[in-house]
Amino acid sequence: MVYKLNRNHMSTTARIGGGGGFWGDQTLAPLALIEQGELDYLTIDYLSEVTMSIMHKQLVRDAEAGWATDLADWLKAGGIGMLHSMNVKLVTNAGGANPRACASMVLSAAAEIGWNDCVVALVIGDDISSRLSGVGATGAELEHMFDASKGSLLDHTERVVSANAYLGAGPIARALERGADIVITGRVADASLIVGCMLHHQGWAKNAEAQNLPLCGPISKWHNDENTLDIIAGWTIAGHLIECGAQVTGGNSSDWLEIDNLATIGYPIAEIGADGHCIITKPLLSGGAVTPRIVSEQLLYEIGDPSSYITPDCTIDLRSITLEQITPDRVLVQGAIGIKPPETLKVSATHRDGWMAAAELAVPGPKPRMKAERLNQVLKERLEHCKGLNIHCEFLGDGALLPPNLRIDSSPPSEIIVRWVATSHDKMELAEFARSIAPLVLTGPAGVCGYGARARPRELLRFFPTSIGRVLIEPQVHVRMLHSWRHELELRMPWLEEHIFDRLEDMVATQGVKSRLAGRVLKRLERVKEGETIHD
Amino acid sequence: MTKTTVRLGDIAHGRSGDKGDMVNIALICHEKEWLPLLESAITPKLLSKWFNGWSEGPFEVFSVPGIGAINCLIHKVLQGGGTVSKRLDSQGKALGQAVLDVQIAIDSKIAKRVGFIAERF
Repeated sequence: MVYKLNRNHMSTTARIGGGGGFWGDQTLAPLALIEQGELDYLTIDYLSEVTMSIMHKQLVRDAEAGWATDLADWLKAGGIGMLHSMNVKLVTNAGGANPRACASMVLSAAAEIGWNDCVVALVIGDDISSRLSGVGATGAELEHMFDASKGSLLDHTERVVSANAYLGAGPIARALERGADIVITGRVADASLIVGCMLHHQGWAKNAEAQNLPLCGPISKWHNDENTLDIIAGWTIAGHLIECGAQVTGGNSSDWLEIDNLATIGYPIAEIGADGHCIITKPLLSGGAVTPRIVSEQLLYEIGDPSSYITPDCTIDLRSITLEQITPDRVLVQGAIGIKPPETLKVSATHRDGWMAAAELAVPGPKPRMKAERLNQVLKERLEHCKGLNIHCEFLGDGALLPPNLRIDSSPPSEIIVRWVATSHDKMELAEFARSIAPLVLTGPAGVCGYGARARPRELLRFFPTSIGRVLIEPQVHVRMLHSWRHELELRMPWLEEHIFDRLEDMVATQGVKSRLAGRVLKRLERVKEGETIHD
Repeated sequence: MTKTTVRLGDIAHGRSGDKGDMVNIALICHEKEWLPLLESAITPKLLSKWFNGWSEGPFEVFSVPGIGAINCLIHKVLQGGGTVSKRLDSQGKALGQAVLDVQIAIDSKIAKRVGFIAERF
């Protein structure tokens, strides 16, 4: 079976790119993917369990921070113009802890290149950190998802830094249906970014809009077919496969030895069909590879029980999925089975839990292991009086990456890096730990080297997964449609009252005067920028 | 039952990842038909032996026959999770590769039945 791309005909297959796997992935990878990918949609997952808490910490310090700034970097490096000229829709959870600020950056970037009728949709309602006590008052228990002994998130309310429910694909699809060019979300489940595109692409969101169905679903009600859940399952698997970027095109692969062009690795494209199958591929001439071996490693990445992989859109049994190489760098994926998703949504929360600092030193031979152990012993004796200090030590280069029983007998290493990580609820103890590392160079065993900058304590955020009833989240979810022309006017004419912008927006919406009006006002503003005074 | 010792990497390739305080290690057979070999060799009991000192479990092993794989799930193994783990590999990303060098005992009969041939046979 050969599936052929044909964008010019009535093809129901959508080409969806996965432009990154996390906040910090290759910043400009999306540019290559837009340029060479012939995409209908570009999706980028920037979030992880750890990322959300970092973003929340940034937001506390700066009201305009707390989102994935990588997005600004590539949009401003030409990406925004490419999305516009090549008509590629962008769907990303770059909004993180501050989707509004992120969307504001996107609108400015669009206005900057003269894309006056750019529509950015904001999906919000995932963040419950500020309304935890209210949620608790409804009787929600918010117990730890995997470990009952950890109690409830409500026990930590005072120390909670972030708490975000994983939203599904529904609001994304509706935003696209309402005309969004770019969709910015907070904590939406990774694969839901892709499912959202498909719900729109296949007309399901159109049905939902016509029938005025709730934004968040259940999305299986948006389409009338006995295979509906299996289709959603297939789309979710396609999303799961490309949401970690190049991990499905040869990155982090056991076959690294055979892939000799990782430097130019291509980011993934999923050609996703109306029936739920997909083909995973990558841009022509890019590095990396797409084979069943590589795709299979990503299929099970971060999966628990494969008979019930739970997402907000659908629970999936992936045991019967098959992978087939159809042509070079094209793998056909099919066979996912969909099950109705649970009535609860996962919530990722983090709370403060003391402080942490890390330091390392290197020891050479002779007898590197004994030297390393002696060095560690000296440090621990010197810090014995710090009763709240907990010091973890590992010997890098001598089996630290495996549990003790699995360490493979090998000849002694020629050198070892001793790495310590200390935690305490008392920040002063960590300062003392940090001060105690450098002196070891002169006061420990012979030849110790590699001392860097003094370790800086950082706040420790403990991850707390829990779940919450959909009824407590989904009715609060909103899609806001933002227009680049209005954003630009608001920035340049802050003295104008909001209702005037609302009136303008109404006129644009109902009378179709968008480009003329926006163009005229913006032209006038250009003259203002050039030095004319404004008389109003 | 005759047992033979082989390097795990001769049977399967792998990748690991984290979820909260859990790590999953996916092991995918080089040949789909070899799955029974892996299923009989890698058990929750073996995992508990492997991870002694790092985790007290639970340990789970799931089969994924469509792609000839097993998924090993090790609970409470990241000292509380990726954000608080003190290990350099705080998310267990190295484990999927590191275990490939481990020697495991396999059932010679099953090996013969599924046509498993390793260099050392």
